Amino acid sequence: MSFSALVKEFMEKGKSDTCPVIDMHQHMGPFQGIYFPNPSPEDMIRTMDRCGVKMGVFCSHAALIDPEVNIKMAKVLKRYPDRFRAYWCINPNYPKRIERDIKRFSEMEGFVGFKFLSDYHKYPITSPRYKPALEYADDHELLILMHTWGKSPYDSPTLVEKLAQKYHRVKLFMGHSGYGEWEKSIQVARDYPNVYLELTAAYAVNGVIEWMVREAGSEKILFGTDLPWFDPHYGIGCVIFSKITDEDRHNILHRNAEKLLKPFL
Amino acid sequence: MIKPIKFAETAEDLLKEMDFYGIDEALVYHARQRDDSPDVGNEILLNEIKGFKRLHGVFAILPPQTGELGSIEEILEKMKARNIRAFRAFPSEHKYLMTKTALGSLYEVMIERNIPLFISVNESCGGISGWYLVEKIMSDAPDLTLVVTEHGSWGHDRFFRPLIEKYENLYLEISRYELDGGISDFCDNYGADRLLFGTGYPQWNPGGPVLMLAQADITNKEREMIASGNLMNILRRVRL
Repeated sequence: MSFSALVKEFMEKGKSDTCPVIDMHQHMGPFQGIYFPNPSPEDMIRTMDRCGVKMGVFCSHAALIDPEVNIKMAKVLKRYPDRFRAYWCINPNYPKRIERDIKRFSEMEGFVGFKFLSDYHKYPITSPRYKPALEYADDHELLILMHTWGKSPYDSPTLVEKLAQKYHRVKLFMGHSGYGEWEKSIQVARDYPNVYLELTAAYAVNGVIEWMVREAGSEKILFGTDLPWFDPHYGIGCVIFSKITDEDRHNILHRNAEKLLKPFL
Repeated sequence: MIKPIKFAETAEDLLKEMDFYGIDEALVYHARQRDDSPDVGNEILLNEIKGFKRLHGVFAILPPQTGELGSIEEILEKMKARNIRAFRAFPSEHKYLMTKTALGSLYEVMIERNIPLFISVNESCGGISGWYLVEKIMSDAPDLTLVVTEHGSWGHDRFFRPLIEKYENLYLEISRYELDGGISDFCDNYGADRLLFGTGYPQWNPGGPVLMLAQADITNKEREMIASGNLMNILRRVRL
């Protein structure tokens, strides 16, 4: 058995001096259907240090449920400005407050854009209720992390494509890479310059990373873990043990994220 | 019967994959054992792994009442001849109930001879599934050595911890135990001797559990137990 230098470094030290990791899909705090040993910001930083994750972009679990709680993420951003950025959650179940949410977002530091959780909020990403946030994000070239799932009536890759046809400046991250509908997700990421595949949970599917790299290019793939859900070493292991080049591994684990986050650092 | 994105066509290919991930030996079943008649699949497995000392097979089971796999004695004879030391159940695909009525006599043999039974938590039968099915098996046969595989990324601790506390012969395979801090938290509470390393290859990417276990916040002794020691102990106890 002979590992590449990068794999060897991660296997021996759990992190790499030359390949830092940026986690573009995090949460924070407890959640309804799962027990977390490490849900607090400090717990997460401990995990990130152990795994060589230099920065995470999160949306707290509480903010996914109650839009009023978005503002509380600002405290974490202020406390740990070198470790976290955040997505402001847009919840279409509260249409009257979306304009106010966008205004509050615009006054905050540390937020990079919006989070859509349409499968859970039960409104399609193409719903008019998302339009103000999409237009604002497009005007300001923000980042939007969308939960996406194969064949979902709310956030399938086909629906992402409809947004990409209309909005060209906002960066659209397909959280979970439209899990299961790989061929369509890869096609959308390949065909639209502002659409990216995000790997949370998807990385576990054997062969899917190689497929994405081959057909969409490693420049269109972002690393994420859902932390505090998944051990970053699990996702990193899936990336570094995929049969791709070290250049691809660097692109996925940090370089693409560094470029996208540059305006927000 | 869903074709994985990539897979090993032969035992030799599988060994190359294992070498890539730094895996020395593996307990394996053939997809045909699940997707075909177990009678056919078990034979295919035996032929595929013949002569490959790094690969250890398992036999798919059926309720003995139909006699499709021969008598229990004949099954054991075949296992002894080919050093098969574990069973695996696919009740969803093979359409049987995991009740005492259907499998009681087989459970008795497994217990008497310490033969472990492997089952995925994604299996179901007779309207029960997942951890409820696991509890049903364990309550029917508390002395059975049962290994639950690929328990899924939606943290299952609330499901399995009560079962782990109640049934000392219940083990978890960690290919999808991705929970951050899960392995170390489990070891702190229950010890490392109830967890077994697995990958779920070819469905799942082995790189995940390989790096996760290599870097889990546990002692090296615990790591070795999970990586190989616990499974070797289970298989060593088998009396064919």
